[in-house]
Amino acid sequence: MILAMAVKTVFVTCGATVPFPQLIHVVLGKALLERLSDAGFRRVIVQYGKGYEAEFRKRLNALECVPAKCSLADSTLGITATGLCCGFYAPGALEVIGLEYSTRVQDIVGLAGLVISHAGTGSILDSLRSGKPLIVCVNDKLMDNHQQQIADKFKQKGYVWACKPCESEVSECLSRSQSETLIRFPQAYSARFENDLKRLAFS
Amino acid sequence: MNIELLCVVLLVVYVVYIVRLIWVLPFFRSYGSGNDESIDRRGPLNVFVFLGSGGHTGEMLRLVENYKKMVLAKGNTVYVGYSDEKSRIQFIQQVASENEGCRFEYRRLKKAREVNAGLFTSLVSVLQTLVQSLAVIFKVSRAMSGKPHLVLLNGPGTCCVIAIWFKVIEWLNLFQPSSNIVYVESLARITSLSLTGKLLYWIADLFIVQWEELCLTHPRAKYYGVLV
Repeated sequence: MILAMAVKTVFVTCGATVPFPQLIHVVLGKALLERLSDAGFRRVIVQYGKGYEAEFRKRLNALECVPAKCSLADSTLGITATGLCCGFYAPGALEVIGLEYSTRVQDIVGLAGLVISHAGTGSILDSLRSGKPLIVCVNDKLMDNHQQQIADKFKQKGYVWACKPCESEVSECLSRSQSETLIRFPQAYSARFENDLKRLAFS
Repeated sequence: MNIELLCVVLLVVYVVYIVRLIWVLPFFRSYGSGNDESIDRRGPLNVFVFLGSGGHTGEMLRLVENYKKMVLAKGNTVYVGYSDEKSRIQFIQQVASENEGCRFEYRRLKKAREVNAGLFTSLVSVLQTLVQSLAVIFKVSRAMSGKPHLVLLNGPGTCCVIAIWFKVIEWLNLFQPSSNIVYVESLARITSLSLTGKLLYWIADLFIVQWEELCLTHPRAKYYGVLV
């Protein structure tokens, strides 16, 4: 565990259900991988979401990643289905790990020094409740959901950095994440709420 | 004479149930901040939680976990309503297996099928759902009645059916105590309520939003910060 922690890791999550090709495209682009490498990251873990494995492998090949054995055990990554792919991006000395879906997202977040996530509340909470710095990327191709609103709100409060899924904006957030600190997300416990629950239940 | 008596009896029953309806609806009830110390807040609690699906289940698991000192206290009975098996497994893995001091009872609630169903089959399926959920809620409500209890809901649509059944039972049974329905609106709702939220605003005994702006447009809503 200590060994795993020592490797500076970025965790990228597209959510478990809907793929987010634009974000994968940016993250697995030479430009961003080099920026990550310059910032000292040595491992990128990507949860790419349902049905995107073939496309993900294609991108790894396009990057000329050397297939490698994953440095993390399956028990750490919690992979239930197939979908684990792993490669070594030599120019940046970066290990790239892709997985479709994990039952232990919380553990992976725990390993990470930075999280880049889609704007789903579940993924946002996974990071913020673990106290990890978070870049939120809005999937603007999704219809009828509140991702933009959510991202704006969390950004306005200073809990996250938010951007669109394009290289320049993600890069900018990345450099900000290396120099700025976010406002701490307030804890979920409210004594006032618990008191009102008790009043309702026991009266 | 008998007709007159019957009319009077019917009228009285009618008035009683109208009054009871007003009594049961949270809008006409006050949940004042009574003297905190006067209520004995110990003893086992009965809780009904409903696991919607996906994001709703996720938020409910977080809520239960964050308030486990009260909700999952030793000796509590937790009735877990669910529609999809995935949510139940998630609950067992993340909550039930870690809190062995509680008794967990699982109650499956049918979801109304909407995909690829004709009008007649949909209608039958909706009716089946209503009847099946009434049976479940009736039993749960009877088991919790007379003991300290809470009903925790956070969406989606099935929660409306659940809440309505709880309130109908409370309305028809004059001696039924309050259902104590707590609805927590999704964290994703920032500027407007969800459809379920809009309906439960009128039914829930404690209606909670997780962004302060929603309080401005919904005076009954309470805000305690992000609870999940």
